[in-house]
Amino acid sequence: MIMVDLTADLGFLKLKNPVMLASGTCGYGAELADLIDLNRIGAIVVKGISLEPRPGNPPPRVFETPCGLLNAIGLENVGVEKFTETRLPWLRNLSCLTIVNILGNTIDDYREMASRLSHQQGIAALEVNISCPNVKEGGVAFGTSPEAAARVTMAVRESTNLPVIVKLSPNVTDICAIARAVEDAGAHAVSLINTLLGMAIDIERGRPVLGNVFGGLSGPAIKPVALRMVWQVSRAVTIPVIGIGGITKWQDAVEFLMAGASAIQIGTATLVEPDSAEKILQGIEKFMERKEIPDLAALRIG
Amino acid sequence: MPARYDQTQTIIQNCQTGPDTFLMRVDGPEMAQNARPGQFAMLKIGAEENYDPLLRRPLSIHRTSKEKGTVDFLYKVTGRGTKLLAKKKAGERIKILGPLGRGFRIMDDTVPVLVGGGLGVAPLLFLAEEISGRKGVICLGAVTRNQLLEIDKFRETGMEILVATEDGSLGLHGFVTEVLDRMFAGLDHASRQRIQVLSCGPTPMLKAVKRVCDHYGANCQVSLEAFMACGSGLCLGCAVPAAPRPSRKGGEGTDFLHVCKEGPVFQADQIDWERI
Repeated sequence: MIMVDLTADLGFLKLKNPVMLASGTCGYGAELADLIDLNRIGAIVVKGISLEPRPGNPPPRVFETPCGLLNAIGLENVGVEKFTETRLPWLRNLSCLTIVNILGNTIDDYREMASRLSHQQGIAALEVNISCPNVKEGGVAFGTSPEAAARVTMAVRESTNLPVIVKLSPNVTDICAIARAVEDAGAHAVSLINTLLGMAIDIERGRPVLGNVFGGLSGPAIKPVALRMVWQVSRAVTIPVIGIGGITKWQDAVEFLMAGASAIQIGTATLVEPDSAEKILQGIEKFMERKEIPDLAALRIG
Repeated sequence: MPARYDQTQTIIQNCQTGPDTFLMRVDGPEMAQNARPGQFAMLKIGAEENYDPLLRRPLSIHRTSKEKGTVDFLYKVTGRGTKLLAKKKAGERIKILGPLGRGFRIMDDTVPVLVGGGLGVAPLLFLAEEISGRKGVICLGAVTRNQLLEIDKFRETGMEILVATEDGSLGLHGFVTEVLDRMFAGLDHASRQRIQVLSCGPTPMLKAVKRVCDHYGANCQVSLEAFMACGSGLCLGCAVPAAPRPSRKGGEGTDFLHVCKEGPVFQADQIDWERI
C-alpha cells in the first residue's frame, strides 16, 4: 500500500489536509470541540464577522426542504472586537488553521475588517463573503457584478498582508466572470459556492415560511450545481479553488477534488453529523490508498 | 459545556400511545445519567449516510431510567420526519445527540406548579418524577379526555393533579390556564409568591401562562419550540426574540435568544412575547 500525501498546498497556504469546516456551520470552533477532533482537520473557517455585532434576522430562520436546508440567519455574529478578544485566543491553541470569514455592507467595512484582523496572531487567511448587499449601491450584492467583486477584493488586499480567499455567490449569470475579476484584483484563492437563493411558502398560513422571505439553500440538494461551478471556475482561473456545496460523504469530496478543487469545505453536513469532516477525511485517504493515488494533484481529472 | 453524546443507540420499544402519539425508548446510559428535565436530543431519522430527510429532529426527553440506562421520547406525528420515526421497530439503531440545551431550574423553598398542554407534557413527566415527594401541583390540559397524555404516570408522583379539557370531557371545561388562574385565586399573597410555574406547551398557551404568573407575581419558566437545524449551537437557526433590554450603546437591544443553547427552557421574562 502506498503512503498517501494529503497535504493541500494552496501556494500561499499549506494545509495538512484538504478538509475545512465551512463558515456559519461550525460556530467559532469551541461549540463543536467535544463532538469532533478539530486538530485532525485542515482548517476551520469561523462564522462570518462584521465590524459591529449583528442580531440577525427575525425567525423562522431555517426550514428543511428535500435534501436541503433553507436558511436566513442574517449573519448574526459577535462583531470583530468580541471575536478577537473572546474567540480567537481559544482558536490559537488548535493545530488546525483558522480562517476568518469577513463581511460588510460597504467597501470601507471590508477595508476596516481586513486591517483590524491583520494585526492579530493566529489567523491563517481571510475569507471574504461578497454575497452581502452593498448598501451604498442600492443593496445589490457585491458578489453579483465583476466590478463590485473586484473592488471589494482590491480593498481587502490593500488593507492586509493575510492571504485573501474570496467566497463566490452562485446567484449570478456567469460565475467564471466573477472569479476572473477577483483573480485579477489580487485574490489568492476563491471558495465556492455560497448558498443558492430560495424560498418556501406556508400554504396553510398563506405566507412565506422564513422571517426574511428569502433564504440560502444548502445541503445535498445543491451539490450538482456546486460541482459544475467548481469544474468551470477551476478551468477559468489559475488561483486555487476551494470547493463547497452539499458535501456530506467522502465520495462527494472526491468528486470536488477531481473536478479541480484544491481543498473542500464541509458545511450543512456538520449540522447533521458533527464529525462529518473527520469521516470525510478518512474516506478520502482510504480511496486514494485503494486507487494508489499519491497526492491531491494526481486526483484531479480533465 | 455540559456533557453531550452523539451515539448510535438501540431502540428498545417504539409504540403508539394515542391517536398520533408514540413513545420511543432507547438505550443510552450516558444520556440517562446526565440528562436534566427540560433538556432535549436530536434524533437522526434516516440510517447512516441517508440524508433524506436531511435534518435531525429535536425531541424533548420524556423520562430517563438511570438504573436501566434508558431514555424515553414521547412524540407526536406531525410531518414526514416523525412519520418515519414512528415506523422504526424495536431492535433498530438510531443516532442520537444529547442531552442538549438548558433544562428547568427548580429553586429551593418554592412550590413547583407544572403546567402542560397537549404534547407539552412530554418533558414535564421527567421533571415531575425528579421532584416527586415535594409538595406541588400539576396542571394538565388537552382538547379532549383521550388526548390527555400520561396522566396515570403523573398521578404516581403524588403531586396534586388539576385537569382541563376544551370539550369538558374531563376536569374543568376550558383551558389549562383557567385551572392555573383558579388555583392562584384560591391562595393568599404569601403562598402565591412561593410558587414557581414550570410550563411547556403551544406558544399561545405559554403566553397565557406568563400573563397569569405576572398577575399573581409568580416566577415562571417556559420551554419553547423553534425550527431547528443543528440543535447544538452551530447554525443559530432557532432564534426567538429576546425581551427588550437596555443595550450597551443606548436604544433598545433587538437581540435574539437561541432555543438550542440558551433554552429550550427560559425564564418567561427573557422572551419578547409580542414578537414571538
